[in-house]
Amino acid sequence: MSIALFVLRRLGRGILTIWFAVTVTFLLLRLLPGDPALAVASPNMTEEARATLLQQYGLDQPLLTQYVLYLGRLFQGDLGTSFTQSIPVLDVLMERLPWTLLLTATALVLTVVIGIPLGVLAASHKGAFLDRFVQIVGVTGQSLFVPSVGIVLLLVFGLNLGWFPIGGAYTDGVYGGEWYVSVLTHLVLPALSLTLIQLGSYVLTMRATLIDALGDDYVTLAKANGLSPRRILWKHALRNALLPATTLIGLQLGFLVGGAVLTETVFAYPGIGRGIYEAVTQLDFPVLQGAFLLLAVTVVAANTLTDITYGFLDPRVKTS
Amino acid sequence: MHYRRSMIVGVAAAAALTLSACAPQAPEESGGGSAEAGDATLTIATTTDVVNYNPLIGNSRSDYWITNLMYPHLLSIANDGSKEPQLAEEWGYVDETTGYYEIRDDMTWSDGEKLDAEDVAYTMNAVKKDAPSGTFYGQLANFESAEAVSDTRVEITLTQPDSSIVEEIGFWGNVVPQHVFEPAGSTAEFANDGSDGGWVSAGPYLLTDVQVGQSYTMERVEDYPLVEGGTPIAAKVVYRVFPDVNTEILALQSGEVDVIANALPPAQVEQLRNTDGIEIAEVTGLGYAHMVYNMQNPDLAKVEVRKALAHAADYQAIRDVVLQGQADSTGSSPLMPVLSTYYDDSIEEYEFDTDLSRSLMEDAGYTADAAGMFPVSFRLIYSLQDSVTSQWAQLVKESSAEAGITIELQGTERNTYLAMTNEGDYDIYAGNFAIMDDPVTNFTLSYLPGGAINYTYVDDPELNALIEEASAASDVDEKVEIMQEAAAIVHEQVYDNIMYTQNLYMAYSSDWDGFVSKPSELLSIVNPVSVASAFPVSE
Repeated sequence: MSIALFVLRRLGRGILTIWFAVTVTFLLLRLLPGDPALAVASPNMTEEARATLLQQYGLDQPLLTQYVLYLGRLFQGDLGTSFTQSIPVLDVLMERLPWTLLLTATALVLTVVIGIPLGVLAASHKGAFLDRFVQIVGVTGQSLFVPSVGIVLLLVFGLNLGWFPIGGAYTDGVYGGEWYVSVLTHLVLPALSLTLIQLGSYVLTMRATLIDALGDDYVTLAKANGLSPRRILWKHALRNALLPATTLIGLQLGFLVGGAVLTETVFAYPGIGRGIYEAVTQLDFPVLQGAFLLLAVTVVAANTLTDITYGFLDPRVKTS
Repeated sequence: MHYRRSMIVGVAAAAALTLSACAPQAPEESGGGSAEAGDATLTIATTTDVVNYNPLIGNSRSDYWITNLMYPHLLSIANDGSKEPQLAEEWGYVDETTGYYEIRDDMTWSDGEKLDAEDVAYTMNAVKKDAPSGTFYGQLANFESAEAVSDTRVEITLTQPDSSIVEEIGFWGNVVPQHVFEPAGSTAEFANDGSDGGWVSAGPYLLTDVQVGQSYTMERVEDYPLVEGGTPIAAKVVYRVFPDVNTEILALQSGEVDVIANALPPAQVEQLRNTDGIEIAEVTGLGYAHMVYNMQNPDLAKVEVRKALAHAADYQAIRDVVLQGQADSTGSSPLMPVLSTYYDDSIEEYEFDTDLSRSLMEDAGYTADAAGMFPVSFRLIYSLQDSVTSQWAQLVKESSAEAGITIELQGTERNTYLAMTNEGDYDIYAGNFAIMDDPVTNFTLSYLPGGAINYTYVDDPELNALIEEASAASDVDEKVEIMQEAAAIVHEQVYDNIMYTQNLYMAYSSDWDGFVSKPSELLSIVNPVSVASAFPVSE
């Protein structure tokens, strides 16, 4: 299979996935028990007022009509208007997206930067105390619950030690360079929280694939040729072990986005995850649809990129 | 290699330029404040963002707190539920179907326009016409129109006699600037998000900066005659959003915020009361928690069964254990003790007595099986977001089992709960109301057939007649007497099982003082006069 065809197929699959996500999101939201008119109005609203609200939102139309209209608007780049805020969904999302990107990208980079050396360390000391210690840390990390980690970090490093601020993404009323510093200090605890819960799977995968790689014939040959263990580990085995880890990065992005909902809530971080949480409580369908679409596009794009990268790194993938 | 370095430098420069564009610019210095007022900033924590800046639509607490600092109400409320002057200095009835308000003549909008009776009349008429989804519209059932008969007097015409409507409209409705809202079209659709040149305020503060998900900054309006001295003390009020209550409390303890606007969870009150640097203000609750038995269920249509259920709950234990003593009994009456004018102490709380419950079930024709259980099972719904109700629902289930009555708990997410409530999809409804300030309005909505919150589906001709009589009565003593008679029927027939009024506790930093407490979580210590009166202790 040619590279162009391989890339085209991956792109096509990505677009199909996004369409599927859009459709499922649309249907799921409307299957949810609950009436958006009730969520935005007072309980003593009359039946007439409720009917007026549903009409305003277009929710009095048949499901298929709503779906066709929604897809039509989507193709024109119109994500609709927020039920509760009466402003375009795109505006609602764009205000929040940069913060989520900053948080998840930081957590992803930290996970990779810390995860690879820890995985290598564990694999190169297989069976030793260090290996067991890293495994325990990895498994524990996977079992952690984001809000609990968040509150503990806030209590220790925010309240007791006073090293970092308690919530938000920056300090109000500061400008210029000071603002950037405040952005960084506000980023540390939420990013650390997300990193801690993601790190385990990365370290354990890295360790397992590297141990496999270290058992391969080419490593035995390298040893027989007298190459130093360090060179074998970092130059040869690690390069091959990184391939599955590349896939994991793409997969992790989805988990990071999911984790961001809870992390942003605990740390009062103004990202899109919190926007989703609020839109769910208000049954704000257009915002939810827009947010899920945006996240689906982000995750699919990252995974497609990973697939394509993988295809370049490992030619066997293209021909399979 | 040289090429790679150039690339890195280029990317770094581009990133720096992009980030530079992201950083907020320092505002230009404005002139100083008044001599009496300080330059302090009062930071208030809230759990939700503002959903809507239009106070006629607004529905979340943050909407209410922030828009309340800009759009005045005609009336405020005292701890006993009676109404007090705010924008209106006098109010009442000209005749059975005409009400009036005399408003202050010294109020102006922050853009210099006079706030007069035309603004008040416009607001009421627009809400009636456009039917926005907020609470205000719900109060206008018997309202026909409003007219500004002078600069300071508004008269309202009613479709039928209603002795509560003048006070209820005055308390629940914000007044909005006609010169801003009218050109924007329907009040039901106007976002009022400041995108067209910012906001206009006739309250103590004006919203000047919104950082979605993070903070809402409001600056002092120098001329606010409702506060002593005529000028709010803090130069700025910043509302910061902390969706998690635990984080919010940590922020108060660390000094990042000065006040928590929402009431504390009962379990946190004692701990914070003993924390240095934190003060706790007790705020009168004006609402109640209750269980309602759906009379569309044939078993629950029998008064003996409803009574059996009412006697199968240990209310004192619920108040002591779940609410940690932070709640008062209402005597199982919808006329709570806090509404001192209406309260009738001859109505007593349903006694927790499972033997009596069993006896009542037998009177209703049920026979217990060998295990002592009657052949009935009721589904009790509650919102999982309401942690207090979630806890006491479990206690009710356990104590009812002692009386041989099976209760199945169905806790659901809030929107599902609202939908199930709306459709009558429950046997027992458990929930609470934040403010039940006017008994006649409360009874009308709760017990008249078709009432928006008639969750019992009760239609009792005697009770209906009393409520309608009270609604038309203009004499307070007469109204009180009728309402007490109606409350006795509700209690005797168990049309509603009122369990307690929860007292509310608000936390603030001991670095601040001067708050003016008002009943209910909506007003508490973050009502406009309180926020404008608060001062830093160090100053």
